[in-house]
Amino acid sequence: MNPDWLLPLRRIAPHLPEAPAGFAVCQTLNLVARRLWPDEDFRWLQGKTARLEVSDMGCGITLGHNGGRFIHSGKAADVTLRAEVAGFTAMLRGQTDPDTLFFQRKLQIEGETELGLHLKNWLDTTDRSALAGMMPGPLARWLQP
Amino acid sequence: MALPELVCPAGSLAALEQAIEHGADAVYVGFKDPTNARNFAGLNFTDAQLARGIALAHRMGRKVLIAINTYMQAGRVPQWYAAVDRAADAGADAVILADMGLLAYAQRRHPQLRLHLSVQGSATNAEAINLAHQHFGIQRVVLPRVLTLAQVAQVAQNTPVEIEVFGFGSLCVMAEGRCALSSYATGESPNTHGVCSPASHVQWLQQQDVLSARLNQILIDRFAPGEAAGYPTLCKGRFEVGGSIYYALEEPTSLNTLSVLPELLRIGVAAIKVEGRQRSPVYTAQVTRVLRAALDAAGRDDYAVDPAWMAQLTAVSEGNQETLGAYHRPWR
Repeated sequence: MNPDWLLPLRRIAPHLPEAPAGFAVCQTLNLVARRLWPDEDFRWLQGKTARLEVSDMGCGITLGHNGGRFIHSGKAADVTLRAEVAGFTAMLRGQTDPDTLFFQRKLQIEGETELGLHLKNWLDTTDRSALAGMMPGPLARWLQP
Repeated sequence: MALPELVCPAGSLAALEQAIEHGADAVYVGFKDPTNARNFAGLNFTDAQLARGIALAHRMGRKVLIAINTYMQAGRVPQWYAAVDRAADAGADAVILADMGLLAYAQRRHPQLRLHLSVQGSATNAEAINLAHQHFGIQRVVLPRVLTLAQVAQVAQNTPVEIEVFGFGSLCVMAEGRCALSSYATGESPNTHGVCSPASHVQWLQQQDVLSARLNQILIDRFAPGEAAGYPTLCKGRFEVGGSIYYALEEPTSLNTLSVLPELLRIGVAAIKVEGRQRSPVYTAQVTRVLRAALDAAGRDDYAVDPAWMAQLTAVSEGNQETLGAYHRPWR
């Protein structure tokens, strides 16, 4: 199910430090946050850490929020959402909903369930067409099949 | 034959947009507080989001119904009154209420506001519905999922109030408006806090591919490797009773009425409702698309359930089985 280009990445990813990827993701989120989530203050994430983990890649990122910006964290996460590349990809592209993946045991939640539910609903209700509008062409087309 | 309204769930603006795009006649939503029965973290509408949603719906000729369907709690009554005021001010096409005090308030304060009696109001006979009609002027009732088709028809013949029935979605023990089961484990119940299993009381633990679900430390289910999981509600847990472990209350199941849509049309129901404000915009899109196609087809003489519809609904269902629920019940 996973595209071929992921194969080499899967071999390398578990051995790479997480910090650079985590910083990059947080920087990107900070760039788009105001436009993408105008009504969201992320109070539910302040003082907490949440981890998105790609199980078949053996990697993930842990992030929090300081009231103004997303911050990468190296601490143990309060909640972890775990899925394979295929699961995250299907959710990102709006091809399946997280609850269905959860029923099928393809999405796991570990730790503070309420924080995890908030994280899931935040990602899930993000305006994907607005997100695609901020992406370069090929990525935008991939995001909206 | 006039088609019933298709009423679809939206836990977010994104879901509301999907419902409208895929053919819902009306979308039902709630505020971000315990005044509605899907009070989950990260779901529901701020006033600004509601305004955008209603503007979009009205531009497309659709309706927005606002569920304020939990019971007012002592000392916090103004919160429920304020929710009705916010809904009226936002230009909602109707509010869906259960609490009699709140119905009275809405009628008194906003006489132009259309009132629907929520499924949480638990009115299962024409007498109860007519009483609510006389006292509060309700214009529609959402029937609890305990009636057979014959009973739905009987109720419809004996009330001037429009009838809305559930057409698809996760089933519960169907004691709507009267269920306090989760409060035995958590001290909170849908009627008081708007949630069956408050997420703050839920713990998931995965050990050697066995997934355990605990509600306030009480083990309510354990899923074997590869076995489908469900929502962590007490009613759908597996318990040891008389030496065996099984679904002692009910097995996770979804209601699916595609096969009886023509009968619901003949009965003259005014609306068919889809459950699932807690679900994703993707779910809302998928289920709305199927129900729209099925309802349009059900108005024609050659109606037959398309296997592709069933496959699409089964894919998003909770549990491994679908049922007509009480609509088809050989026993009484």
